[in-house]
Amino acid sequence: MPLNRLFDWFYTLFGMRRSVRLGIYGSINVGKTTLANRISKDWTGEEVGKVSPIPHETRFIQKKEKIHIKHRGKNLTINLLDMPGLATKIDYRSFLKYGLSKKAARQRAKEATDGVIEAIKWLNNVDTVLAVMDATEDPLTQINITLLGNLEARNIPVIVVANKIDKKKADVDAIREAFPQYPVVEVSALKGKNIGQLYDAIAKYSKGAK
Amino acid sequence: MKEKMKLKFDFVSSATLDDKTKDTRISFILNKVKDGTIVVTDGVLKPEEEIDLIKETMRRVDDGFPGIEVASLKKPMKGMMNVFEKMVDSKERVQSLIAGLTGRPLEKTSMRTGLTLIGPARYIKKIKKNPNSFSVLTEI
Repeated sequence: MPLNRLFDWFYTLFGMRRSVRLGIYGSINVGKTTLANRISKDWTGEEVGKVSPIPHETRFIQKKEKIHIKHRGKNLTINLLDMPGLATKIDYRSFLKYGLSKKAARQRAKEATDGVIEAIKWLNNVDTVLAVMDATEDPLTQINITLLGNLEARNIPVIVVANKIDKKKADVDAIREAFPQYPVVEVSALKGKNIGQLYDAIAKYSKGAK
Repeated sequence: MKEKMKLKFDFVSSATLDDKTKDTRISFILNKVKDGTIVVTDGVLKPEEEIDLIKETMRRVDDGFPGIEVASLKKPMKGMMNVFEKMVDSKERVQSLIAGLTGRPLEKTSMRTGLTLIGPARYIKKIKKNPNSFSVLTEI
């Protein structure tokens, strides 16, 4: 982190702006890749990764670099980093019900555990974080609390993204009540609802916006 | 006849954990949890320690140990106590950075005031958390 700050200071000193490394973090199956695809498709026409109902579909960090966002007079270049879902447990047996063979399930679990470790290591290399939460689920999970606590300790700007608001069970107020100290943007990444508000927030809270 | 299963809880004092470095503290907890014990600590890990606990858990996941469930209750710090806590955290981060760069052993750090429960995911099915309490559902 101190090195990142030094680079930021150097770039600012010479009037240069580097790309903002925007990390998309959260638990499994909260819609991180769907959101990454939505952002990337909006500005590049291309998707970042595959979406699946099977947990831990994203097991490697997926990147989309040099995405130029021009939104309501603000310009921002981002390197989008779609992170594997954070988890405290990964049981290969949970993949068997999706029709995976034992061997494939074990391999998926191994890759998923490595993915969690990589995502955690990358916390030292992101500038801004979108902490994605499933608005239909209880937000007070240890993963969400630990993630936000670490971002705060590292002074990394964070936007809480309350995703899946297109679903009937969605309760954004529960997220706002659980984490009142953070900006919360409610979206449906799948339907593209409120994504403009998310770009407003990214431009507002990212250090590299101008 | 169904065999009776036993669930073991270890309640660990803050004095025991304060006497350890971050890495040895995490190992101490995980060694117990991997053996099937539910650990309740008199104190809360710092955010950096919590994330390291998750990272170390992932390294240890295997067929018999799918991971952990964890919940903590932290005493909220207000005003000057909050400022003091952040100062201590900053000092410990610098010490940790220096230790990493120089290869010096990590120094002992104290835990925050609160309560933490860490248990094997194969027994703990769900933890329902509220801001000031949590309930644990086990299945053995």
